Amino acid sequence: MKQLIPLALRINGVDHELLAPPWRTLLEVLREHLGLTGAKRSCQEGQCGTCTVLVDGKAINSCLYLAVEAQGKDIQTIEGLAKDGALDQIQKSFVQKGGVQCGFCTPGFVLATKSLLNDNPSPSEDDIREAMVGHLCRCTGYVQIIEAIQDAASQIQREGAG
Amino acid sequence: MEGTPHIRMAGYDNARTTRLGPATFCALRGFGEANDCGLRRRERQYVEANVGGLLPEYTGSGERMSSLRRLPRFEYLAPVSINEVCQLLASHTSEAKLFAGGTDLILQMRRRETVPKYIIGLKSVAELTFIREAHDGGLTIGAMTTLQTLLTSPIIRRTYGLLAEVAAGIGGPELRNVATIGGNLAGALPCADFPPALITLGATAKLSSSAGERTVAVEDLFPSFGKTVARADEFFTEIRLPSTPAFSGGAYLKFHDRQSMDMTTVGVSAFVTWDEDSRVFRDVKIALASSAPVPIRVKKAETVLRGRRFAEDALEEAALAVCEEADPRTSWRATREFRLDLLKGLTKRAIGRARENAAGSTRDVS
Repeated sequence: MKQLIPLALRINGVDHELLAPPWRTLLEVLREHLGLTGAKRSCQEGQCGTCTVLVDGKAINSCLYLAVEAQGKDIQTIEGLAKDGALDQIQKSFVQKGGVQCGFCTPGFVLATKSLLNDNPSPSEDDIREAMVGHLCRCTGYVQIIEAIQDAASQIQREGAG
Repeated sequence: MEGTPHIRMAGYDNARTTRLGPATFCALRGFGEANDCGLRRRERQYVEANVGGLLPEYTGSGERMSSLRRLPRFEYLAPVSINEVCQLLASHTSEAKLFAGGTDLILQMRRRETVPKYIIGLKSVAELTFIREAHDGGLTIGAMTTLQTLLTSPIIRRTYGLLAEVAAGIGGPELRNVATIGGNLAGALPCADFPPALITLGATAKLSSSAGERTVAVEDLFPSFGKTVARADEFFTEIRLPSTPAFSGGAYLKFHDRQSMDMTTVGVSAFVTWDEDSRVFRDVKIALASSAPVPIRVKKAETVLRGRRFAEDALEEAALAVCEEADPRTSWRATREFRLDLLKGLTKRAIGRARENAAGSTRDVS
């Protein structure tokens, strides 16, 4: 059995080549091989959403995704969102609306928001709640998170219009 | 990274407090090589100091590893065509496991319920992902079509809204972007939501192997708990839906504890063809999830409704017939009695909703 296989992963626009066992999940490779610890390891069952990353623009649970299968795809993690130290609009809205408390769930929520707004730039509150069902937050009670997502959507639309 | 010690501690608490034998307490293999082509020095030190020694690999049977939740070792095979899959299945039959979306299989592997020597990944087999209209008005769906694609596909929403409804009720977007309809069938779980819906739509599944292809009705796919009729060298390649008649419609109702992200306690799929002239049920198909060791169709209940008007007594009779045919089990999730109670209520509602959808649809797809 091969202990190590070469992996070529494109993460936040940067190509990484590394050797890893084929039984590594994408989450494990991101955190342990590449030091990208924004995606969190928590339930490991697809219930909590803290490990969310985008694969070809779509939100997925990286704890349920094999790293070997993420090759040839465009992977985006929370580390790639801010540009030159300036926060992305979604991140700004989360900060401004109090959507971040302990912060453990935040990368997952922010990336799920990005995925949602890619498909639906002006989601209703129901759309937002529906899109966030796979994310748990034990601090905020979700209200501020929903407000943050609404704020991000309207700010991004305003930018687009202006 | 040093800035978040509390989170790090919490995350690996299990590993720290679990009593590990020396055999299991081995460093992460692969860091030596990974170091040279990815990790910066400081990160490497961090990982080795904080993670490397704590999270061992799976080393064999009998070890209590569930709290560590690493996947067992396997060799990954990546075919790119149906033909290649068939060949790999033929040569690795007993030791290989097909990996579609993998959202269920990864959990089973973490729990060591299944420890395959080979994983045959299907995500690179492009010809398994499609939704095609058939010449006769039906639809063919590739086994690797994700649930999110089913949920958002215009043709599915227009002509087989039942399937979009089922997809919407499963997990969240993160799961639906990965989980596939083929995987939902092949997993053969009694709580899976797609089998009952596909049964009521009269769907068939195509099984392919190096020896050829065969088609099996979804209704006949599940001989016993957790099993499908697929031989070890066969795999699901596509699902065929027949065209739907005029004035037909379906509904899938399930009970689950929360509103989302949990398993189905019981589920009822109903597909109704409505006779708009005489205002009676022309045809009804009903199938159940989590109501027997396998997904089942309840034919007696269907017979009760055929030719009847839409009225409470007919629904009551059908619901009682469903409860007679169903054989749910008592588990930590719900008792048999509770499930039967739920089935009675859900059956009536599912038929009612399906009839509404049927009466509202005028489009004859064929």
